[in-house]
Amino acid sequence: MKEGQLFIFGLIVFTSLCDTFRELFLKSGVNALSQFNPGDIKGVILFILRLIRTPWVWISLFFGFLSLFIWIFILSKVDLNFAFSLDSMHYIFIALASQWILKEKVRWMRWGGTFLIVLGITLVTMS
Amino acid sequence: MSKRKLTLKIFLFLLLSDVLETFHQFCFKKSTLFEETPHLTGFYDLLLFFKLVFSSPFFWMGLLSLILMFIVWSAILSKIDLSVAVPIASFSYILVALVSVLFLHETITLLRWIGIFLILTGVIFVSVSSHVKESILT
Repeated sequence: MKEGQLFIFGLIVFTSLCDTFRELFLKSGVNALSQFNPGDIKGVILFILRLIRTPWVWISLFFGFLSLFIWIFILSKVDLNFAFSLDSMHYIFIALASQWILKEKVRWMRWGGTFLIVLGITLVTMS
Repeated sequence: MSKRKLTLKIFLFLLLSDVLETFHQFCFKKSTLFEETPHLTGFYDLLLFFKLVFSSPFFWMGLLSLILMFIVWSAILSKIDLSVAVPIASFSYILVALVSVLFLHETITLLRWIGIFLILTGVIFVSVSSHVKESILT
């Protein structure tokens, strides 16, 4: 890997981490709210109003925008298929984060999937 | 409450979200292709870079399809589990690769195609593993 490519690789890791934080904070924000009935329009509006008053949701949005800007910068530097393939690493981060926070048991299938993603990213980066 | 039944309608919505995902990535990539690539050295150059991006209609088309995708995706997730939706949605890894080759004239070597297929399989494994956990709990 060339030096410039290593910098872009680091940026993709950073956007993937931002995406993970975005998901985690959004999930925390939504979890803090009570359930609503999707068929009830008044309930949906109330849900959205409460959602935008939740600080977690704003933190989630912040990470979303940060990730978007860096993503566009990345796209200006490397091929789309390269960047998009590597962006799959956020699946690994989200899986790991939910294991640490939700204390889920590690299943072989998840480790197998994680291993395949890492292997795939390695091949895409090498070629 | 079980919401795992994948109907044709939901499947078509999933295909739509694949198309929107691919289209918004394509638009964002297009918005960064300037006639003259500016040489970025300092913070001021970065502002100039985003000024150029924002003045491209491709950026706004990309943003619009990103918002549409978010709405379609939310509608899908209210009907079926994430562990069923993600494997079908990860078809976009192939779609993005095809669009890159056909419309952006990027080259994908055999080794990279193998890598993309491994990633696709890995994403399916990771998302199905949470499905297994759910079915044990319920």
